[in-house]
Formats: sequence, C-alpha cells, structure tokens
Amino acid sequence: MSALAAAGFPEARIRARARNGTAEVFPGPDVYGTELFGPDAYGTDPAHGPGDGLDRARIVPPVFTPERLEKLIDLAREPEFTDVDLTSRVGGFASRLPLYLSAFGSTRAGSGDLAVHATRQAARLGIPMVIGENMVPVHGYRRAEDSGRSALLGRIEAYLDAVPDGVGGIVVQQSTEDADSEVWNLLYSDPSLRPLLETGRLAFELKTGQGAKPGLGGMTVVGGAEAEALARRFTVRKVFDERGERQLRCATPGTFTDEILRQQLRFMRNNFPKAGTWVKFHPGRDIGDAARTAWAAGAGAVTVDGAEGGTGYAPRVFLDQVGLPLAECLRRIGRPDGCLLASGRMWEGGRALRALALGAGAVGLGRAALIAVDEDPEHGLERLVDALALELRLLISALGKYTVDALGPEDLWWPDAPAAPVPRYAPDPLGAVR
Amino acid sequence: MDQTSRTGTATAPPPLGEHLRSPRLRAAMLVQQEALHAAREYLRAQDFVELLPPLVGPVTDPGGRGAKALDVDYYGQPYKLMTSAILYKQASLRGFPKLFYIAPNVRVEPEETATTGRHLVEFHQIDVEIADASREEAQEIAAGLLTHVTEQVWSRIPGVLAELGREETGFADVRSGKYDVCTHHEAVTRLQACGHPQNPDGEIDWAGERLLSLESDRPFFINDYPKGSRGFYDREDPENPGVLRNFDLIAPHGYGELVSGSERESDYATIVTRMRESGENPAKYAWYLKEAREGIPASAGFGMGLQRLVRFLTGLDAVWQVSAYPKLPGVMAP
Repeated sequence: MSALAAAGFPEARIRARARNGTAEVFPGPDVYGTELFGPDAYGTDPAHGPGDGLDRARIVPPVFTPERLEKLIDLAREPEFTDVDLTSRVGGFASRLPLYLSAFGSTRAGSGDLAVHATRQAARLGIPMVIGENMVPVHGYRRAEDSGRSALLGRIEAYLDAVPDGVGGIVVQQSTEDADSEVWNLLYSDPSLRPLLETGRLAFELKTGQGAKPGLGGMTVVGGAEAEALARRFTVRKVFDERGERQLRCATPGTFTDEILRQQLRFMRNNFPKAGTWVKFHPGRDIGDAARTAWAAGAGAVTVDGAEGGTGYAPRVFLDQVGLPLAECLRRIGRPDGCLLASGRMWEGGRALRALALGAGAVGLGRAALIAVDEDPEHGLERLVDALALELRLLISALGKYTVDALGPEDLWWPDAPAAPVPRYAPDPLGAVR
Repeated sequence: MDQTSRTGTATAPPPLGEHLRSPRLRAAMLVQQEALHAAREYLRAQDFVELLPPLVGPVTDPGGRGAKALDVDYYGQPYKLMTSAILYKQASLRGFPKLFYIAPNVRVEPEETATTGRHLVEFHQIDVEIADASREEAQEIAAGLLTHVTEQVWSRIPGVLAELGREETGFADVRSGKYDVCTHHEAVTRLQACGHPQNPDGEIDWAGERLLSLESDRPFFINDYPKGSRGFYDREDPENPGVLRNFDLIAPHGYGELVSGSERESDYATIVTRMRESGENPAKYAWYLKEAREGIPASAGFGMGLQRLVRFLTGLDAVWQVSAYPKLPGVMAP
C-alpha cells in the first residue's frame, strides 16, 4: 500500500478493484444463498427523505365520500373497514386478495425449502403464485428414468394440496434458455397438472426481464462442478476467482422487438389455449409501449417489476443505478388496457395501496415473502399478509371506497409534483414524478 | 361416398394382437399399400427424388399446439426424435430441388387430442419440398397427389373399399380435382357466425376444423394463416404483413386436415427473427442456421398425413384403426 491518498474520491473501492478485479462488480459470493439481493431496502435520498418515489406519495382520504353513501344504501348501515372487499381478479384467476407470490430469483435462498413453505402459505391464502424461470434448466424436471420429484413439481404439488377450491392459480415463467427445456410444453402435457388446467388455474408467464437487473438475463453463483454441468446451456464465467471455485452463470435476456413480443404471446395463446398468458417486464424506459403491445396481443396479465424489485443475484451497478422506479413505470403505463401487476419492495399496505391506486390490479410479494417464511416456516407469510390485508382494508375504507378496483390516482398526493390547481376530474395519474 | 359424417369418436384400440388380426386393419393396410405406391408413382413422374428422412437430430420442428418432441440421449447430448423433417427438407434443396420422404414422425400430442380421431403419437407424412416454387405450385402438387392416389386406390382395389362400405360416387369431386379455396380469415368469420368461439389469431381449433369439414362435400384449401399460429419456417407474405403464405388442405365430411404446407422463409435474417417471434432460441438451430446463412433456396412444400389419408379413403372412424401399431396421445401402448 503506497501513501497515495485522494480525498473525496472513492479510494477504498478503487483499491478493492485493483486487488480483486471483476469480483468487485458483484456482491460477495459468500453471502449468496443467505442474502436476498435487491436495491437498498430503504435508501435515503437526502433531498426527499426515506423511501423511493412511490413511498413519498401520500394517501389522501377525501371529506366527501359518495361511494361510501352507495355502500351505506346497499348495507342499510354505516360501512366499516371490515366491509372492504379485497377479492380480486389476478390475470384471469380469482384471488382472495390483490396479491400474488412473485417468482423468486434462482439463488439458493429462492429455490430451497423456503420457497416450498411460501408456496403452501400462498395456497392457503388463496392467492396466485408465480414460479420462476430456470427452475427446470437448473433443477431438472421429472424424466422417465427419474422417479424423484423435481423442485418445480414439488412446489406445484404443495400448492395444489393446500389451495381452496375456486381461488388461486399457478403461473410458470419461461425465458429463452427455458425454451430449450420446453418447460411450458412439459407442464401442459403433464397429467399431474390436469386439475389446474381443468379449473382454469394455470398460466404461463413470458419473462422478458427483471427489476434487479434490467436488460440482463438471470444470474446465479455456482460451484465448480455445477458450473461444468451448466456450461453447455449457459454462459459461465470465472469472475470471482481465477481458479473458478465459484463461477457466475448467466442466462441471456433474449431479444425482443414489438413484433417479437406480439408474436410470442400469440404463439403462447395458440399453443396453450387452456393456460393463461402473462408477461413480465423489467422497468424499461419504453414500459408503456411494451405493456400496451402485450395487452393488444392478448396478454391476460402484464407484470412490471420496478427497479426496487428482485430476489436474484445482480451486479452492484444494476442494483443501485439501473432501471426506472416502479412509480415512474406506472406513470408511463397510465391507465392500463388490461390486468396490470406490480412488484418491487412490496411488504405492507401503504405501498401496495399506492401501486393499486396507480392502476395495478394486484401486487407481488417476493423478498418479503421469503423473509417471512424464514422467520416462521409454518405461518410467517400468512401473518405478514394478514397485517397487509388489514392495512389495505383500513386505508381503502378511509378513502371512502370498498373494492380494490375503485382506487384511483385521485387517492394519492405527490409532494414532488409542482403545485397546480387541483383539477375537478380526471387528474393526471402522477403529475411529474422525478 | 358413404355420407355418414365422421366424428372420430371410435372406441379405444383393442389389445394389439387382436387389432393386428382384425379384417378391418387388413383392409386398411391394403389401402395404405396402394396409396403409398400411387403417391410414389405420382411424385416420381413429376421428377421428385425420394430420400430417406433422419430419425434423430439436435433439433426438430418445434411444432405447436402443445405437441412435444421426445428426447433421446445421444452420446450424452440431448437429441430429439423428428416431429417433422422440415429443416432437413430445406437443407436438402441445393442437392435435390424436388424431393420427398415417406417420413415417420413422433409427436407427444396433448392428451385431449386422443379423442379427435385424427391424432396419433407415431405417424407418417408424405413430405414434399420444391425449390423455387410458390404456394400455388405446392397446392397443385398436393391436390394432384390426393387426386391420383384416390384414383389409383379406386381402380386397383375397389372391392376392398366397397367392403369397407365406401361408395365410388362419393369420391367424384376428389377424383375430378375440383377443390375450393378460402382464407383463414373467411374460415374464422364463418365459424364465428355460427357461434363457434374461434380465436382469430390462432390455428383453427379441432372443433372448428371439424365444423368446416362437415359443411363441405369436396376438399378445400384454407390459405393465409396468421403469423403466431405456425412455425417460423412458413413465409410471411411481404404484401400482407402478419399473414403467412401457407395453406391446409381439408378433406370433406368431417375428416379434417390432410395436408399442411407453405412457402418457406429462406432469408437468414428473417429466419432468425421469426425464430425469436416463435419463442425459439436460435442457438439450438446452429446447423440449420449455418446452411441458411450460406443460402438455402426459396421453396414451397407440404406434408400429407398418411394415416389421415388412409382414414379418409377407408372411411374409418379414427386414425388408430388405420395404424398397425397405434399409439394414442396419453395412452400407454406397445
């Protein structure tokens, strides 16, 4: 170490890169599998205080509540928060709450026992569940010579065992590498999934990206032996150490144009007519066009994963510097033409309500769900959701409303927006969110 | 023709031994033998060369409608049993500008197709490809093939067909080569008008196809399927984006689709783009894309389902009755 100093310059980080090279681009592989990656949970912006743009909007109940009057007439008594109906349609499924269990990144944290516990509880809650891409390319699927249950089928069975009749549903993602494993085809023709198909509770989600690393494909840290096995299908790179004891497995993000997206969705509808068709986008700058293209092509749900989202592994620069915040994604989408789903740091009622008021039909729980089942594998997620649902009922009733789809942009106030006369009707969803 | 409409609801096959001994299968095999002979005769007279198709490869036709390819372990690499030899047909054109196969195919069809009477997991296609041909030229060959085969079977073994209850007068339209043409859009409109909820962006579904087939007394072509309903190799109409220069040939009286065909994409960049549009990973298709990059001729071609053709000629209820070793979707059979 020389005596050279550079005050005000990120000297320590530069020295770390000079020592460790590309390993410094990523969070340490030592915490892989025990830490959920994603942007700082509550990054503090000195200009605005805690939280991101979506958290800074205030929920603003009105004095006059014509919709409460309607409810009063309907009930012949004063409505209460317990009268709020949280049942929702989520991408064609009936759901008891405007929530779904997001796909977990393929870190060990997201594809082990925790995921199975989260699955059981999501089923008992009667909310849909999304199963992540690359479960099959990485963990395999039941083959003729393999009588064991794969991780994917294990989760599907756990869900089916616990879900009440008439609610919930399972959504299975596929990305470009998954297409090689023909995940959707395997599932669609698997007799064990017939109960799902017959009750209209299976959907397939085309994954075009994710919030934690917009513009990149999936990434996991793998040991040397596993790296060798995966190297045939994925790019595997020695970014952590020269010996390659731990390596980075990268999937491609896939190439999309509006026509490719439109046709892929049509293909899904054509090939799997009994399954719903969902699509998940990263928080791209053209998210408005992408969402409209997807709905026009018949997508039953469009999921936008804000830059705050992610349970998977990602380069540091992506976690902190890449992608639109969820609030801006929702602003660019505006009034949705179909079912819009939103994810990215959801865990309590306030943020969920803000996303719902901005057009989302439901919000996804990812990291929050994993932490909750880590806290209590038996009931942690159920308790977390009970608290969230109670907050939603309290908030929605305070707004003088009694259903999720009654929420609208008028229910929020943005301190960042320039002061403007309050419009009498049809306000711009967000004003300018910076 | 025996005018009873075919619904494909014949019962499941008996045990294999009993099936192989049945007089009905024997009659069907005699018809199949004549049909194959007549098909080869017709195509060879038109200067087609018969090649033998591959059985396994690193990739096969991705197919659609939930049909899967079977994987085989090929020296540690995952190979596929051929669901169709389309990629090989195109690659062969530089050496064989007019070629055909009698190609065995294996498609793990979704179980719901077990009752259509028109699906088998193992089946054969009379698979034809013509360099530098248009859709209309391919249709002419397909129609000529059906006409010639029908003609020859009736002239060589009329007794076998009569024994099966077929009437020669019913085949007059087929033998005269008078085939109607409509577009996918017109077919969808017709179906929706009679209350059938046909998806306008997709394949004509099984029930819809049957309705159209039952309405008709003569074979007819459906042209111009929308992109997103067929494979990446069906050529998009440059004059009409989103529409493919392809066709199906539908048999009358409820027998349904006998032939699928198309002009092919041969431009490398277009093929790669179309692969993405159908959700495919181009890396899987390395050998084929290398050929395409070097230049494969423009072409048109089709596949005629052999068992469907024989079922149409014999008038039997289901394709399993015209297969010696039938494997129905979702049913374990030897």
